[in-house]
Amino acid sequence: MTEDSLPRIVGFLCKWCSYAGADLAGVSRLKMPASLVPIRVMCSSRVNPLFVLKAFLSGADGILVTGCHPGDCHYQDGNYYTRRRFALTQKIFKELGLEADRIRLSWISASEGKRFVDVVTEFTENLKTMGKNSIKAEIFL
Amino acid sequence: MKGKIITSQNGLNQAIKGILKSLLEKGLFDAILVPTRVPSGESFVYLLIKDKNLIESCTPLPPIMPIQGARALRELTRLGKTSLKILCVMRPCEVRASVELSKLKQVNLENISFMSIDCPGAFILKDYINDPEKFDKLYQNTLKDWEGENIRPSCNICVRFSHQDTPADIHIGKIGMKENGVIIVPLSTQSNELLSKIDIECTQETTEWQTGIKEKLQKKAENRNKAFSELKGNVSGMENLNNFFSNCINCHNCMRVCPICYCRQCFFDSSDEVRIAAENYFSRAQNKGGIKFPTDMIFFHLGRMSHMGISCIGCGACEDACPMDVPIAQVFEFMADELQKMFNYIPGRDREEQIPVLIYKEDELHEYEDMEDLK
Repeated sequence: MTEDSLPRIVGFLCKWCSYAGADLAGVSRLKMPASLVPIRVMCSSRVNPLFVLKAFLSGADGILVTGCHPGDCHYQDGNYYTRRRFALTQKIFKELGLEADRIRLSWISASEGKRFVDVVTEFTENLKTMGKNSIKAEIFL
Repeated sequence: MKGKIITSQNGLNQAIKGILKSLLEKGLFDAILVPTRVPSGESFVYLLIKDKNLIESCTPLPPIMPIQGARALRELTRLGKTSLKILCVMRPCEVRASVELSKLKQVNLENISFMSIDCPGAFILKDYINDPEKFDKLYQNTLKDWEGENIRPSCNICVRFSHQDTPADIHIGKIGMKENGVIIVPLSTQSNELLSKIDIECTQETTEWQTGIKEKLQKKAENRNKAFSELKGNVSGMENLNNFFSNCINCHNCMRVCPICYCRQCFFDSSDEVRIAAENYFSRAQNKGGIKFPTDMIFFHLGRMSHMGISCIGCGACEDACPMDVPIAQVFEFMADELQKMFNYIPGRDREEQIPVLIYKEDELHEYEDMEDLK
């Protein structure tokens, strides 16, 4: 499979858990599709709905927001706010018929290198069946 | 709920003016913020009145809403609480917007009281300024029948046109009342005492008024459901959405007049969004074959929706301000309705209630996250 046919996923990884989890996956030499473009954020609650929208409207096939498991946030409760905000954003996608499945929220801890690989692999497979994000070719936005 | 029914030969506005005058005379309030017709006669502004003789010139319930009252109050309390006791005379949606803004720390409600009025809806701004005299006459009928053809679409689908979910102190009711009847309803114990100081003892039953509201509510709720189900088809999918907004000229008026959009600098006017190197546009154009200028029109609307949708009070100011007649308020109200239902939230209904995005529950919304182990 060529790299072009892989979906492009923009991932927002929280510095304290998910990014470390991704690092662990690398150190452990686990294999996963090269579909994710990681962006490190200090907390998943730093992810403004605009980040998700911008990535989506710029043609990203998938957007993955990841953070510490609920209750484990480095800043006590950041990821609870993330969840509310993400739910609102996804609701907007759903109501406007904008392929809400292209955006996804996952909790991955620093010790879950395997889980990180699983999430990215599964998400990539799902996106493959959905096909390319048609907005990528949309000129009048 | 108890009230006091008064009869006014000269209409609703005149009756309210009488109450305002005596409140000011007795020194129960230091000033009153109330809509007033501008000297040219074509529009209305908010006037902070200290002199009781000026009350005669005001129009407590104007036929249009050129300025959302919450914006006037925001300007007034920008630097914190007022030392003066102020009574704001507003439409219910303006009261709710003010309370919502206080939660966002843009309005300080200390020493501020609200008088809300049963709202028949407002005319479309552009229609009105083209022929104020004609619409002033039409408005008299609207005040009688409580509906009319020229009322703004947002008002036709409004289900909080009276005291419902509106945390005002005093409410003035008219719906369902006989010819010249106007009902004064205190919505708190303090305002009950306040009214008794100007010899308004609220002991009468309010059934007549409440039945009137119920009837109107049913009709408006039907309108609302119908409008939303029609709309849903029109904005579903990127192609439809794009067509819906295709007249947009990126003037951002909808954002500027929105009472909830309080950010001094909107992201969409900020250097992050505006100061982009030409090379960036080139590479975007290369990827797609071409890009449209001005860019990011859909991004602006969806972005604004995701920022203020949970607090949208559905006043319709955005639609009034749109120079291209994009029916923007309807899509925002539709979305706001869906978002607010998720958290059983009604913006501005309670001064103490927190905005859903500022609080959380530990155990909720599991359908939006993947928690379970993957296959």
